[in-house]
Amino acid sequence: MQTAQQYASQQNKVRWLVVLVVLLAAAGYFGWYKFFREEAQPDWVTATPEMRFKYGSIDAEYNAGIPYWIYYVMPRVFADKLPGPGGLASLGIAWEQGQELPVGFTKRVIGFERVANNCAVCHTTSYRASENEIPTFVVAGPAHTNVEGYFRFLMDCASDPRFDADVLMPEINLVINLSWIDRMIYRYVLIPMTKKQLLAQKEHFAWIYRPDFAPWGRGRDDAMNLTKYFMIKLSMDDTFGPTDMPAIWNLKKYDDSRTNLNWAGDSYDAYTVVVDSALGLLGAPPHDKADFLGQVDWLVQYLRQMPPPSYPEAFGPIDQKMAARGKVTFEHECALCHASDKTGTRTPRSAVDTDSGRLDTWNKQAAIDANRIVAQMGIQRRGLVEQPLDGYDVPFLDGIWLRGPYLHNGSVPTLRDLLKPAAERPRLFWRGYDVYDRINIGFVTTGPGAQRAGTLFDVTATGNGNQGHEYGTALATSDKDALIEYLKTL
Amino acid sequence: MAQASMRPGNGQPGSAAPGGGWRRIGWTMLIGPTIVLVILGAYLAVRFGSDTPVTYADDEEHFKYGSTGGEHDSGLPYWIFQALPKICPQYLPGPGYASLGLYFEEGHDLPVGMSKRRYMGIDRTFLNCAVCHTSTVRDSSASRPRLVLGMPANTFNIMAFQKFFFACAKDQKFSGEFIIPEVRSLLSQNHRLHPQAPADLDLIDRYLVYPVAISIMRERMLMLAGRFAWIDQQRDWGPGRVDTFNANKVMFNYPMHRLSEAELNAPADFPSIWNQQPRKEAQMQLHWDGNNTMFEERDKNAAFGTGTTPPTIDLKAIGRIENWILTKDAPRFPYPIDTAKAGRGTTVYRKYCSACHGAGRREATGPYDFTGADVGKVTPIDELRTDRHRLDSYTYELAVNQSTVYAGYPYRYTHFRKTFGYANLPLDGLWLRAPYLHNGSVPNLRELLQPASKRTPVFYRGNDVYDPVNVGFVSNVGKEGAQEYFKYDTRAPGNGNGGHEGERYGTYLAEADKDALVEYLKTF
Repeated sequence: MQTAQQYASQQNKVRWLVVLVVLLAAAGYFGWYKFFREEAQPDWVTATPEMRFKYGSIDAEYNAGIPYWIYYVMPRVFADKLPGPGGLASLGIAWEQGQELPVGFTKRVIGFERVANNCAVCHTTSYRASENEIPTFVVAGPAHTNVEGYFRFLMDCASDPRFDADVLMPEINLVINLSWIDRMIYRYVLIPMTKKQLLAQKEHFAWIYRPDFAPWGRGRDDAMNLTKYFMIKLSMDDTFGPTDMPAIWNLKKYDDSRTNLNWAGDSYDAYTVVVDSALGLLGAPPHDKADFLGQVDWLVQYLRQMPPPSYPEAFGPIDQKMAARGKVTFEHECALCHASDKTGTRTPRSAVDTDSGRLDTWNKQAAIDANRIVAQMGIQRRGLVEQPLDGYDVPFLDGIWLRGPYLHNGSVPTLRDLLKPAAERPRLFWRGYDVYDRINIGFVTTGPGAQRAGTLFDVTATGNGNQGHEYGTALATSDKDALIEYLKTL
Repeated sequence: MAQASMRPGNGQPGSAAPGGGWRRIGWTMLIGPTIVLVILGAYLAVRFGSDTPVTYADDEEHFKYGSTGGEHDSGLPYWIFQALPKICPQYLPGPGYASLGLYFEEGHDLPVGMSKRRYMGIDRTFLNCAVCHTSTVRDSSASRPRLVLGMPANTFNIMAFQKFFFACAKDQKFSGEFIIPEVRSLLSQNHRLHPQAPADLDLIDRYLVYPVAISIMRERMLMLAGRFAWIDQQRDWGPGRVDTFNANKVMFNYPMHRLSEAELNAPADFPSIWNQQPRKEAQMQLHWDGNNTMFEERDKNAAFGTGTTPPTIDLKAIGRIENWILTKDAPRFPYPIDTAKAGRGTTVYRKYCSACHGAGRREATGPYDFTGADVGKVTPIDELRTDRHRLDSYTYELAVNQSTVYAGYPYRYTHFRKTFGYANLPLDGLWLRAPYLHNGSVPNLRELLQPASKRTPVFYRGNDVYDPVNVGFVSNVGKEGAQEYFKYDTRAPGNGNGGHEGERYGTYLAEADKDALVEYLKTF
């Protein structure tokens, strides 16, 4: 029999245990609430498919999300690390007036508000008929975004000693009245953690800091090297091959199993490309695989059905008679590759002779490794082509009017330039300015506006060669005019 | 263990006696300092914890002297503010703040447009809405100025105001050694006038609060001077003008030295702020370039100029002003009007002006009629052809950056838009809104009806003596006693006086018609 004293002491222990459990539960709830609680995005984000594409989360916030208020004040505190005045807008990101975030930036509460990206950051473009006009945004079009500029901005901010709570907190306190507890969380957890996480990526970005490689500039990324260094975690090699952001409308054209996607036909199908690109944005295996694959399915369906944009009526009517003549020229000069069984399949580089930089960045072993890594995540897809790739894919030309500059590396400003022999194509131009060049078909790449907004493209830099694809260059001027008129209709 | 048994209150019955003495001493040692700390804490809380603006029951007084909340973050310590004209007189154009075109009403220690608040243990002052939207009018150089609320601050030189503080903060005299004795002297003078006011700084103020305040203010001014360094490369705005949206870029900490030339040198006149209701109801395009159709966003953005930030803005105080300007009407032209001539002018006005500028006043005492097909809408710059600097200073990139402002609050900006022209303004109180055009490049109405080639290329701004014949302020007097007026050169970038001319704009009218039109415009 236990004594009264023993009984009391035992009761005491139970009481303490209860208190301890309650405290732990409260702490657990607090931790869950402040760091892991998930809230859906507001309704307007998913109200239309287009809004969802532009602002909808693809679950990248879990691993790649930047705490909102850090994201908010970084362009103010580190304005000197951006390409020009205008905050993130100076990166040429599509940004609609009245929207809190640029297109392709997603905001979501996972414990705290976080900002990450979705596909639209590289796949929404804009055009204007003149400088005195608001840009028209086209989803799924090749973005003018300076992606490398954004990466470097993040890395350079994190590397700066001023990326510190003593500097960031006063700037945050100028714009929002956070609760004491949230200030403490920002000061002691989120700011140091964000710095650490960003810096952890810096070594993988070593190649974009190399002085022998020119910046990608607006509207391009070195996609296969990104895959190698971030997904496969390979060490840096000497290859460099930035390419244009592709247009990703009308993906059903790739339904035919003969066709491959990506500049070198690196992937078997659209599903593979969407999975791989989205994983790149996540920067980690998906937090919730089923949800992630649901997002991918939605994206593939949305993009399969999306028609390419028509040449705008505001640019003036297409001369139909001339276009009809141009169609004849097209069938004679271009259709063999661009409107045939060959379209969407690889063609040997020896025939086309465009810059080889992009091909050199990828190889069979990398494809095998990447396929293995994705398979290990439990994701089934047809995958990347596990073969040496000796040439570029022949692109479909739907919406070609909005896909300038041309060639895989965006080395030729306009369609008219592309119909010139390589020696006569522009050697220095500015890309990323969204005022449209209706005469030459493409964007304006010279003059003060282009110079101010754009990034300089030098065809002599590594990976930037503008040679090759010298087809139709001998046509009479009137035939070229007619051909260009026809190309507007695609 | 011996040590353990000495510990008081170890729960053993009957063991209290040996430890009793220790316990008493322990309690005394604990209670004494606690009481002192509590009293000290309470004192510090009272002394440094208060946040009290000076408030005014009357709306007009509130407009003139009430706080928008700006003193929290941007406030200048009140007594330092009062001392600085003595510390740094060389950076002012004349004696005291009045030389910057600020107006002191009799019996007031602060000019119209400055408010006062006690916050964190020190009185602070900063600008409010009235500083840019109130001015004075004189009938002649000999007459007394009349204060007019809601009109453009025609005499206030905001650039010189900023530069004064920046220059003074950089001066070696901006230190406790010079400022504190000056503050003490001001306090003792003040005490003689108001015996209930303290005659001197107390010890805490003198050795702690003011030295710290001086150093914080200096650091802050130097930071602002750095962010506003671009104004040193700008031509003087002169009185009555501000480069609103380039100043706005400073808020985002734009690297100002990298702005394109086309964006810079973009000062525009302070606007009048009467009769906002019809503007709000019609969702007119507000600001000179019509970049926002939402009254409240326009106002919140202007309030940044009064030092507010999203956490510190006093929306209730600003709401009072917003409510007051909804219906506050412009004062009428106080000089004789030839009604017959004005009647003839009405016909001309209806034909040429009313579609863009509103139907005008139908009768001398009636309200302004804002109706007109294009009132409050933007006319493209290619048609208007007025100076485009102000338009180009507002970029698409700025518009999208502005849509992040007030994030985290339910009133984040969503209405800022890049435009490509200037907005057609209603003309209520037109007589007080000289000089004309957005950049104030045309001294009076009569000249605005001349083709640009016949408008005065160089004139003087900042005079508050009225010229009822030409309808505008006297603009041909460079100096009045010690007061020098601002020489406005229309040939300088941003100052162009071209545009708003040609058949549509009445510059081809016969002299008699122009004369009649001007007479009618006086009634606005």
